[in-house]
Amino acid sequence: MFTLLFRSGDYLPPLPPIVDPEKSPSAASDELLRSPMATTVRAALSPGGWVIVLLAGLSTLFVMARAGTSRAGLDMWVFARPHHEMYLPNVESWNANQDPDLNLYLLSLPALERRMSSGFLSDTPVADLIEADVRVASRAFTGPLKDVGFLDLTDRIRESGIDEEINPPSFTPWTSRGRIFGLPHDVHPVMLAYRADLVEAAGIDVTAIETWDDFIRAMSPLMADEDGDGRPDRYLLNVWETQIDTIEAFILQAGGGYFDEQERVAINSEINAKVIATIATWITGPGRIAVDAQEFTASGNRLKLEGFVVASIMPDWLGGVWKHDMGDLSGKVKLMPLPAWEPGGRRTTVWGGTMLGIARSTQDPEAAWEIAKHLYLSEDLARQLYESNGIISPIRRLWSRDFYDVPDDFFQGQAPGRMYIELAPSVPRRTSSPFNQIAKERVRDALTRLREYAEKEQLFTVEALLPEARSQLEAAHADIQLRVDRNMFLKDGAEGQR
Amino acid sequence: MNTIVGRSRWTPLLFLAPFIVTFLLFTAYPLVQSVNLSMHQTYGPKTSTFVGSGNFTQLFSDPLFWKALSNTFLFALGSVFLQLPLSLGLALLLDRPGVRGRLLFRLIYFSPSLAGIVFVALLFGPIFEKNTGLLNVWLNSWIGFDLEFPWMERHVMTGLIVAGMWMYVGFNMVYFLAALQNVDRSIEEAALVDGAGPWQRFRHVTVPAIRPVAGFVVLLSIIGSFQLFELPFVLLNNTAGPDNRGLTVVMYLYQTGFEVGDLGYASAIGWSLAILLMILAVGLRLVLQRYED
Repeated sequence: MFTLLFRSGDYLPPLPPIVDPEKSPSAASDELLRSPMATTVRAALSPGGWVIVLLAGLSTLFVMARAGTSRAGLDMWVFARPHHEMYLPNVESWNANQDPDLNLYLLSLPALERRMSSGFLSDTPVADLIEADVRVASRAFTGPLKDVGFLDLTDRIRESGIDEEINPPSFTPWTSRGRIFGLPHDVHPVMLAYRADLVEAAGIDVTAIETWDDFIRAMSPLMADEDGDGRPDRYLLNVWETQIDTIEAFILQAGGGYFDEQERVAINSEINAKVIATIATWITGPGRIAVDAQEFTASGNRLKLEGFVVASIMPDWLGGVWKHDMGDLSGKVKLMPLPAWEPGGRRTTVWGGTMLGIARSTQDPEAAWEIAKHLYLSEDLARQLYESNGIISPIRRLWSRDFYDVPDDFFQGQAPGRMYIELAPSVPRRTSSPFNQIAKERVRDALTRLREYAEKEQLFTVEALLPEARSQLEAAHADIQLRVDRNMFLKDGAEGQR
Repeated sequence: MNTIVGRSRWTPLLFLAPFIVTFLLFTAYPLVQSVNLSMHQTYGPKTSTFVGSGNFTQLFSDPLFWKALSNTFLFALGSVFLQLPLSLGLALLLDRPGVRGRLLFRLIYFSPSLAGIVFVALLFGPIFEKNTGLLNVWLNSWIGFDLEFPWMERHVMTGLIVAGMWMYVGFNMVYFLAALQNVDRSIEEAALVDGAGPWQRFRHVTVPAIRPVAGFVVLLSIIGSFQLFELPFVLLNNTAGPDNRGLTVVMYLYQTGFEVGDLGYASAIGWSLAILLMILAVGLRLVLQRYED
């Protein structure tokens, strides 16, 4: 039917002539008016067409007018609302007394991540200063060093002595191939938060706990099934095969890791195998002590509020989140150093991190550097950071300040700041590998398969699970190694075509 | 009077120009560019190295790609063999003569597809939650089901297929219902007079009559399934879930291109998916044509 209708142009009714040559005042204008283009334009621009052209023109003018309203000075992106609120008064005072002005923008983390990544990858505009978390920042380190979107701050940091002032492990997530690309915002040591009301009611003395084995032995009476429903009334620890950050924190505490200091893949280490084999025995089988009460979820919070889980690992920043989301736990929770993997072992680990980087594209790197120092090295901000979020500063000279000694009612009058500071020097080092996130996911997968293997073979001891743990980690290691080898931009001296 | 003056030979081209320019700029050029890109290893658009067919060679030995492909196939199978029969069943129920409130039921069944996929994913998250999730709590109170049963850890694809069914059953039902309402009633009545039972009437009258629409719905369903991305991405908190059980081809493409920054490898994944879909579409067309013949 369609072919039948439109096979011949004759089907279309002839249009009436728009120009009548006989009535034109002169031959020249007749010619012009009769030109195919003029006729077509006149025919096309009906009143509706004119409206569309008008709207297009107006919107173009509007966009052009908006494009011209960008503020003078430097721009800074932050992703955390508390940081934004904390920086505002300092930014105002900077703008009142210094040049150039700083414009502070709060973006959601995904928005910041996408704008930053697309800006770095394709040279679209980004802010002069960008506050990025550990997962987002490492994205910038995927390509050749010359293409890292952040300015190399190594020489500035060394010349100004900041490297001596800041806790050394805090630099490692922002250091790629020996170059430092950001000022650290924090240390994020980790302790164990436990339900003191339950533990003390059971007469358990936590000071006698030194290792994870001690912890399980001392706390096991809390897992009794008093309501007779056939399962424990509560579990001892909040950890699960899906909690990739928690698993990484345990591995780092034990001295393991996914990459070594030269950023070579190190997933298949014996330490990592022991840790995941141990976690497997915690989450399944007769020795199960763990439950999945994820942070930032309503269901996880409910399990904590109901006392279904006794203890969770808690970096300094998480205390502020608990206070905000689970105020009912106030006075019921206490902190203690993490039990170690071996007697005399490390009593803390690290979880999370933020840095302030300067975009390589900034027009005024010196001013951006001054602003970065003004914000990140300020004692006043360090105090606010602790008081509003519970986060301790990475600047070691500030650790002696008495605001870290103020008792906190949420933690039954303990002074969390002082406790975290005592552990801060022991925080493990990390690497900034852009493959870290995918490595975390592969290790999670290895643990999932190990748990399945344990259930299938009914093997629930660390020793029995170790061979399978090694084999699973070997597979994860090979997969990441393959991806690292494929990335020719990370090889020494490799530069792509531009 | 020369009527050609009013519609010169340039007129059609001028009217077609917006489409042609847009097509060349936003479809043809990116397509050609993506073929070129699939033969490079890249770090974003500005740094790249030619690797020839290296990306495709790597892809075929990449276990994650095969995992993504098998997950996606599983979802497509669930869509075609669970979702579509259910849609057809609902359409048959609503097509029965004398059904009261047909419009209301049609609206009720169709309404989930009005919600965005992200919204559906956010809705199903708390339903499939362990310990406190609606499904486990309800099953526990009903049959003593394990409260800790981890739907979104060990049965990710089941969860995705269920969520997909909830969303699209009503949508596909509308297609089937429209097709059923166009079945020639006189043929059905003739079959009834000839003594054909309900199954025989369905098998020999209804199915042949709705076959073109069914073929179209199957094709849409397969293409939609192979583009699955937002549902697992949101439901699994921006990951592919434990052991990549929720990884789909498009999600792998996204992770590779926009998280790792290797747009070349992502292009190779995209082209592999496009070629696979073309093969499936042609295959389906041939199968349907054979039935028609």
